[in-house]
Amino acid sequence: MKEVDRIQRRATFRSYLPAILVFAGAFLMLGLRLQIGAGFISDGAFMMLALACYILGALFQLTNLYAPSEMAQKIGLWSAALGVFFNLSSWLVRWVGAYDLEISKMRESGNMASPWIFRYVPFANLYDLSLAFAFGAGIATLLFAHRKNFQVLAAFTLPLAALILTLARFIGNEFIDLPPVLDSYWRPIHVGVASLSYGIALVCFAVAVIYLLKDKVKVEAMAIWSSIFSVAVIATISKFSVFTEFVYRAGLFVPGGEGKKPFNAPFRLDIPYAGVALAITGVLLVGVVVAFCIYIYKNNEAAGKVGRGLLKVAFTAQIISLAVVIGGIKTTQNIYPTLQQQLAANPGQYLTAGMAIADKQQLSAKEYAAITPMQFEQIAKQYLQSAGDKMFLSLNANPVEIAALITALVGTLFVLIFGFKTEQLRERLPSLESLDSLMYKTACLAFAGLAMLLITGAIWANESWGRPWGFDSKETGALIAWLTYAAFLHTRISRGWKGRSSAYFAVIGFLLVIFTYLGVSYLLPGLHSYA
Amino acid sequence: MSAAEETLKASEVAKPNSVPILNRVLDFLSSVRVGVVLLCVMVVLAMIGMLIMQQNVVGFESYYAGLTPAEKVVFGYLGFFDIYHSWYFNALLLILSLNIVLASIDHFPSAWEYIARPKISATRDWLLGRNQHTVISVYAESEREAAEQIKSAFVANGLKSQVNEHSYTYYEEDPDGRKDFSKILSRSNLYVFGESGKWNRMGAYIVHVALPTLFLGHFVALQTGFDATVRMIPGETTSTIEKLDFDLDKKLEFNVQLPFTIDCTDIQQKLIDEKGGIDVTNTLDWRTHIKINDPQYGVTEADVSLNNPFTYRGYRFFQAQTIPMGSARTITLDLTPENGGAPAKIEIPRNGSTTLADGTTVKFDQFLPDFTLNAQGKPDTRSGDYNNPAAVLSVISPGGEATRVFAFAANISDKIPVGAPKAGYKWRLSSFEKAPLAHVLSIKYDPFNAAFIAWYFGGFGLIGALIFVFFISHKRAWAMIEKTSENTFEVTLAGEANRNHMGFEDKFKAIVTAVTSYERG
Repeated sequence: MKEVDRIQRRATFRSYLPAILVFAGAFLMLGLRLQIGAGFISDGAFMMLALACYILGALFQLTNLYAPSEMAQKIGLWSAALGVFFNLSSWLVRWVGAYDLEISKMRESGNMASPWIFRYVPFANLYDLSLAFAFGAGIATLLFAHRKNFQVLAAFTLPLAALILTLARFIGNEFIDLPPVLDSYWRPIHVGVASLSYGIALVCFAVAVIYLLKDKVKVEAMAIWSSIFSVAVIATISKFSVFTEFVYRAGLFVPGGEGKKPFNAPFRLDIPYAGVALAITGVLLVGVVVAFCIYIYKNNEAAGKVGRGLLKVAFTAQIISLAVVIGGIKTTQNIYPTLQQQLAANPGQYLTAGMAIADKQQLSAKEYAAITPMQFEQIAKQYLQSAGDKMFLSLNANPVEIAALITALVGTLFVLIFGFKTEQLRERLPSLESLDSLMYKTACLAFAGLAMLLITGAIWANESWGRPWGFDSKETGALIAWLTYAAFLHTRISRGWKGRSSAYFAVIGFLLVIFTYLGVSYLLPGLHSYA
Repeated sequence: MSAAEETLKASEVAKPNSVPILNRVLDFLSSVRVGVVLLCVMVVLAMIGMLIMQQNVVGFESYYAGLTPAEKVVFGYLGFFDIYHSWYFNALLLILSLNIVLASIDHFPSAWEYIARPKISATRDWLLGRNQHTVISVYAESEREAAEQIKSAFVANGLKSQVNEHSYTYYEEDPDGRKDFSKILSRSNLYVFGESGKWNRMGAYIVHVALPTLFLGHFVALQTGFDATVRMIPGETTSTIEKLDFDLDKKLEFNVQLPFTIDCTDIQQKLIDEKGGIDVTNTLDWRTHIKINDPQYGVTEADVSLNNPFTYRGYRFFQAQTIPMGSARTITLDLTPENGGAPAKIEIPRNGSTTLADGTTVKFDQFLPDFTLNAQGKPDTRSGDYNNPAAVLSVISPGGEATRVFAFAANISDKIPVGAPKAGYKWRLSSFEKAPLAHVLSIKYDPFNAAFIAWYFGGFGLIGALIFVFFISHKRAWAMIEKTSENTFEVTLAGEANRNHMGFEDKFKAIVTAVTSYERG
């Protein structure tokens, strides 16, 4: 029996080896960074390597689904592990970088204080959280992939982790001045739990998608939802101007001073042809939705064929419009005169810009109401005069918009992939029972993790702000996500909702997690806004 | 009435005993489905509260001003601007708490059965109905020996095991599998039962105790407590705090009398770059030192800093914000005697004083970060930034003559009145420790420590219970031993877990391997 035990233990160890090596390697990188100093590989470089490895790992796992090969599976697994290693290394190296930066600033001014090292834990802003979120998803994938039949998970989770890192890239990895209220031992606990919970929720979502695919949900139905998401993104970016004015306006940055992160200007610059390209893409995607709805509900094969053709054209249009947007942002010169010309032709932006500037001044309702539209415009014109020539375009000025467009593109791509040799793909996926079991397991872990997130956040809020719970936007967002997972778990008990119903719940739960992670920070004001 | 009539007369159908209304209400309230519906309603209301700005959020005033009259009326009437304190939200929380308690009471007996009366034996058909099951042959001298071997295998795999003999009756079956109910037979078999993590069955109930504790504690804290603020300027004493209330776009402040007084003795701002400003981006921490004079309990001193509150008689003091007007915590002055002699360097804390060697008393009255003379020609500050810092001093000569002196950081010409030597010295502000004019402490009054009980006991209890529920599972395994021939026994092995089925599948395989390897040994 001892021999049997030894064999079993060795097999278990081997299956967890990628995850073990990730931690060992990342701490080695940390050691090297401490030894070598600032000349070591930067955290940004590690992050880009992680992104590349995640994409590579996903590619090989996807390839393995269509053309099964031991080699492809192994490369896929080890690429995933390498990606997680680079991801964790980036985070650890960033910790040291933050410490070095602030300590040098302090020593330069003669301040010999030595704040504790946990002050510099990379959990201070959305970039840090994104890095940790992607790591959470990656390590959860590796841990679940210790079972061979679940290595296919990586084909679905790693692209999502790569999207998170892409968003991080656009947010920018400049170090921020840590708001003093965040200097607490609760920060690594609370935000650490958040990143791991979000990562597990991502894996739960991926399992749900695989389940739906295996359960023979029509790819066309998936295409409908993916297209609706893409249309919603196109409709809402650039302050709804794509469908209303056929114009895409990119945000502008104003330099924030030496060593400081730039801040958003209240003006946006029209990128030539981007609006039209995006509008055409949107129309094509609406066509996809209509065609596939007719196909599904009326069993009309012709509509299905049209839909599939439109989907391919829409995908191409998405690539082109994204290229136009990114190309336009990267190549546009002479921002100030171009902006002046555009404002002369369409002075409507002065009013919105003036209102945005007045908003930041925290005026009372009376003071705000007393400002006339002409005064708002005057405020905007004064701002433009003082800061116009310093404004510049950057992908980092619109991180969520660019990342959302890329996510929409990847969604369409995946739907196209799913539509290719669908039956063969379904056969290669794990059994429905094991997928359902994994979905339940990950939902339980996400639920427990979100509960810990809420409680640790409340206790920290009680120590910092004097109130444990104030229904702040982020708190409420996390509560909503947690309640959704609670409803999911209880419907399994009370109604025996397994399988497809559970999968839909898991999808909704993850979307709410994304809203908490991203939507709250960018769309809603509150105490968590610095995150 | 004839017999025929009696037969034909419709017999009175016995009316079903109607379920008492209270029972029906309790059944409804304790239903898990109702709980799920309540959760969904709570999600919807919470989303409304997120999407429609709440009245206590910074920026509400301008948001409210931007709404149409119709939106103001409708949202206001529906209570959407303060939805989390509305009567219907509180009612929802109450009903949800009730549902949790009643559902737990309803389901508890069946969960307790797993602990008090575990299923130590089962029929072959039941065992074969488990997801994890197998039938193997075991070689042993006796049934008891086989049972002990299986028990060892269970124990080796972490299951607490017992061997039992259990008799059961069954009906004889014909070759076609049809049961002959007239032939009742009895059989006695040895069973091995192993389990671990049985208390996991109670985990959900611990969660459901922690949640109402949290809700109730928070509710009590909200009803019995309030929020307030107090401004702290070193050297000043106060016994009132400002309570805040919101009424849509109006912020209402009321003074609340404390049963003690608070002296602010010191405020300090720890900076990253000591040469930089006192804005939040250059700050490590803020610290306020207070002295409480309580007629009942005497004097208490405390430091309040970020993430480090101070609690006194139900009042919890938090470092909230500062008044970003530059001031100085200590000043260092260079004094150059007018008539020659060695220059002196003195350091004076805020509101403090010092006496020079010649008996001159120097008192630090005020600090002006950006000195200017106002329209009336009086000393004033242009802004809160340290653009032209000056210390305002009261200098009392040994003869009792009082003079007002300004000590500047910048080199000011002797010919300018404010820069001219006074009281026998040329005064220069050589350095100072930057600090704001005042700190604002926020205060949470919680007389029953309800928030502490709610979030520490309820919160940590919830976390512990969830870890217990989701990271441990109740695993059970059974082995039914039937003798087939001399020294050969057929063992029906079955197992199940309430969670982590994939993990248990591996464990069951390990148990089977352990049993069969015994057999080979």
